Amino acid sequence: MRILLVEDEPTLNAQLTTALETAGYVVDACNNGRTAWALGDLEAFDAVVLDLGLPEMDGLTVLKRWRAAGKSMPVLILTARDSWHEKVAGIDAGADDYLTKPFHTEELLARLRGLIRRASGHASPVLTCGPIELDTRSSRVTLDGQHIPLTSHEYKVLAYLMHHPNAVVSRTELTEHIYAQDFDRDSNTIEVFVGRLRKKLGLNCIETVRGLGYRLATPT
Amino acid sequence: MIREWMHKRLRAWPYAWPRQWVRSLQWRVLLGMLIGLTLALVLAGFLLSGLFKDHATRQFQAELATHLEQLTARLAFDATGQPLMDPAGLSDPRWHKPFSGRYWQIDTRATDPAAPKPRPGVLRSRSLWDQVLQLPTDVVADGTVHTHTIPGPDGHPLLVLERSVRDPEQPAAIWTLIVAADARDMQHATEAFSGTLAASLGVLWMLLALAGVAQVWIGLAPLRALQTDVSAVSRGLRPRLGSHFPAEVQPLANDLNAALDAQANNLARARTQAGNLAHALKTPLAVLQQAADHALSTPAGPNGQALHALAQQVHDQVQTARRQVDWHLKRARAAAHAGSSTAACPLWPTLQSLVKVMGRVHADRHIRFELPDPPALPLNVEADEQDLQEMLGNLLDNACKWTHTCVAVRIEQGANTVTVGIQDDGPGIPAALQADMQARGARLDESAPGSGLGLAIVNELARLYGGQLQLSTGSSGGLHAALTLPKAQRSADAPAS
Repeated sequence: MRILLVEDEPTLNAQLTTALETAGYVVDACNNGRTAWALGDLEAFDAVVLDLGLPEMDGLTVLKRWRAAGKSMPVLILTARDSWHEKVAGIDAGADDYLTKPFHTEELLARLRGLIRRASGHASPVLTCGPIELDTRSSRVTLDGQHIPLTSHEYKVLAYLMHHPNAVVSRTELTEHIYAQDFDRDSNTIEVFVGRLRKKLGLNCIETVRGLGYRLATPT
Repeated sequence: MIREWMHKRLRAWPYAWPRQWVRSLQWRVLLGMLIGLTLALVLAGFLLSGLFKDHATRQFQAELATHLEQLTARLAFDATGQPLMDPAGLSDPRWHKPFSGRYWQIDTRATDPAAPKPRPGVLRSRSLWDQVLQLPTDVVADGTVHTHTIPGPDGHPLLVLERSVRDPEQPAAIWTLIVAADARDMQHATEAFSGTLAASLGVLWMLLALAGVAQVWIGLAPLRALQTDVSAVSRGLRPRLGSHFPAEVQPLANDLNAALDAQANNLARARTQAGNLAHALKTPLAVLQQAADHALSTPAGPNGQALHALAQQVHDQVQTARRQVDWHLKRARAAAHAGSSTAACPLWPTLQSLVKVMGRVHADRHIRFELPDPPALPLNVEADEQDLQEMLGNLLDNACKWTHTCVAVRIEQGANTVTVGIQDDGPGIPAALQADMQARGARLDESAPGSGLGLAIVNELARLYGGQLQLSTGSSGGLHAALTLPKAQRSADAPAS
């Protein structure tokens, strides 16, 4: 799951990046509105954490431009302004949720999980596909109730596939959502992760659709 | 009692009454006009009656002078040098009627000791009967006429004309011819004229005063219109003053409009600054909060205990600071509002957008919102849009936090008020605590998210707008919050004139 974090206060930016990475997200952090807008417009993100008071272009403008351009990723607004007027303006501009500063890391993560889950049409925080269960709250994966330990990258690939259960996901798409923008991407590593996941969860858990990508095998 | 009151009133008079008048423009203008009018008319009255009196006197004297000439023409002397007057030659019958008010008399005066002794009343008109007119002795040169006023035979003043003649044959003897008339005849004419004049001037005064009152009434009408407009603005019925005032009042209306705009700008600026302050304070608080959360979630190292204690302290203090900042910011926003004029705000769209926000924010809870049918006519309440959002937002958020399944909203319209009832099916609040909570906004349950100040802020804002917030236990056992606000008479989207 790849997150765009937009926060201009350097310390808070660093803290949130650490917290989000610890929670298993891939984080692209930036500190001004213009860069944020360009990133969100060009790259694919699973969710955005957007501060409203930003240099160069304020958060609401960035959000309105994304929505006008048809970008539909869930956006969580961070705001220091606590009035309902600001909240209404944020939601009207296309935000999906807001959080008032100061906030607890746990609350931010919980809201973010909820947003990503709802964006992919899941009602429960536990994603299920046949015998495989993935708890987004604890990042635990179980197979028939047995805990399967996964590396961070393996978890990210599986989580992305499980959030899009019936779709064919291309390698490029997976790469985009698993690595941050400035990471040296090599789509071959995706094959390695998929191979390892098949080993751990059963050979048929992930189908290869030739020339297109991967699909989570739906239980028959 | 009455005496005391009058005494007081009289003592207060030189200060209290004029001050009252001075405060009223109408009274001032009227008073000034009446004083001026009275002075002018009294002056005109005196002037006119003086002119008339002067004229009448001259007329009277001219008449007497004619009589004197007639008398002179009829004067004859006998052989001894004594004057002779044939009364039949004098035409006016009043010469013959006793004390009729018209008299003549011939005196003799000596110019040298050889002449006969001076003797008044040698010859007299019959009307003088046995009286003799006593004139002050003065020397009247030949051919000149002297005028005197002396008491007459019946005590009334007489206007007297005298001249002297000499018998050419006895030049030593000087004869003084005197004609007199009762001055009352002249006075009567003058008095009659003055009476008529006073009555006419009185009528004129009344007509002019009436015209003045009408003028003041009409002249000050734009000021009354201005007052009506200003009161409409202050009650939020219209956004600004109109431009239909006369040229003398329009600048004032324009200045008032400018002041209204400046006030609106100040309000906006105060709000922006409050928001900026929030931003400036809360971002560092967020940093501290994150650091504390991080320290608390990492496993304890060598100094683990102390670090955790510090982190816990930071965490608690950040919460306290946040509550303080929220409280004072909201108070500041409410205070910024207090002096400003109210505006009308449409209730339904505000409610809708807030319910949309609630739906997003509490998406995981799957809360069902029961909304009434949209009102047929646009329904506006007398409140600033941001303040209305603040009140309804806090109430809805509170309901969403506590409810199990459903938040029901009701709108009830009174004659001049609108009541928004928001009810949840949560655990509710014991009646004893409801009043307490309303008053202080105390945080009843620390486990629920939010600062717990919401209800107090709603209560304070509602009171600022002349409304109120009532808490009660709803039918399903949850909290029922009823927010009553005055209904705006003006439609919110009416174009500003």
